[in-house]
Amino acid sequence: MNVLSSFQNIFAPPRDLILIILAAWLGLALSERGATRHRVNLDSLGNMLLVGVSGFVVGGRLLYVLENLASFAQSPSSIFALNTSLFDLWGGLAIAGLSAFAYGGRIHLPFWESLDALTPFFASLAIGIAFSHLASGAAFGRETNVPWAIDQWGALRHPTQFYEIIASLLILALILIQKPNPTAGYEFLSFVALTCASRLLIEGFRGDSTLVFGGLRAAQITAWFILCATLIGLEYKKRQEHREE
Amino acid sequence: MQPILRRSLYAMVLLSGLIWIFASADKTNSSTAGHIPAPQKGFLAPEFKLETPDGRTVALTDFRGTAVLVNLWATWCPPCRAEMPTLEKVYEEYKDQGLVVLGIDAANQDNLDAVAAFEKQYNLTFPILLDTNGEASALYELRAFPTSFFVGRDGVIKEVVVGGPMSEALLRTNIEEIIK
Repeated sequence: MNVLSSFQNIFAPPRDLILIILAAWLGLALSERGATRHRVNLDSLGNMLLVGVSGFVVGGRLLYVLENLASFAQSPSSIFALNTSLFDLWGGLAIAGLSAFAYGGRIHLPFWESLDALTPFFASLAIGIAFSHLASGAAFGRETNVPWAIDQWGALRHPTQFYEIIASLLILALILIQKPNPTAGYEFLSFVALTCASRLLIEGFRGDSTLVFGGLRAAQITAWFILCATLIGLEYKKRQEHREE
Repeated sequence: MQPILRRSLYAMVLLSGLIWIFASADKTNSSTAGHIPAPQKGFLAPEFKLETPDGRTVALTDFRGTAVLVNLWATWCPPCRAEMPTLEKVYEEYKDQGLVVLGIDAANQDNLDAVAAFEKQYNLTFPILLDTNGEASALYELRAFPTSFFVGRDGVIKEVVVGGPMSEALLRTNIEEIIK
């Protein structure tokens, strides 16, 4: 546990963001390596990613400002404040996706091939997020008496951050070792399906879930629906592959 | 893999997922356990009893039913100094709506004369508490200065902000949430 507390001291928030940036950097290196295999121009892919990241940073802050306009109206200079909390994460992600999609379309980057090329980047990012959860103590587990429980936030809990790290490492390993699939989009959809399945499983051990409909976990329901859509997508891709053969 | 086998596998995964969603539901509706004291969002704010520089004892429980902003700081910390005027400004503005700011000086790492000078320099009107033996810093697992805990009227931590200086908008947004 000393190693864990040293890790948590070194990467305590807001320094846990370093772990995400490091993972993004490693993921980018892995994606660059695989870009040629997916017949995607490396420079164009890099530019699209840059547009996406810019959209994330600017869009996330702008949406937060719009959502809390009354607070910012009284101190407009706060729009440029260096507070990471002044950020709409989901809004930022949506704007990142939209801006990258629009830019990719404009420079004629193939959609599914680009997503396949970026899959190691997304998988690596998931590992970084899992480590940042461990550092900050976020995404903690529910109380339990299993032998591998960890003492966190005043109780013995499921070490959900460790579950998350193990799952995301396994997913990255699976992506890297799997045989290249000729059908564009197959790698990306496999990654999404695996990520949703792991979230569906791990969320059940979490102690901080948003609950709906008398105790059901909102993240599990969302993950199940995305998993459903992804498996349909994978089936469609398989049929496409057979037709092409 | 044969198509029929693959489709059966997909159906099994989805069915197992559905069963797991219901099996792992939190029937007590207490997922974030708002009754356990811990320095984390969703938990009960840990209880402390500290003295002010003039010898009064102030406990967090004295303010149950009130929105409380617990700010841990030190005189030698530049971001703490930078955010103090804003903290005082919003306290003055929101105190009539039921906001209490408790400025906890990490006195075990600070100079008491400097604290008095600091209070005077920034004309602070909210209570300054002295954490002389580091009890509150330990309870709140202080890892960086300043750290702020926005505590709702129910005593539950609604937001934790590590580092600073906090901008005025950040303070206002979080205060609006806790005074509701």
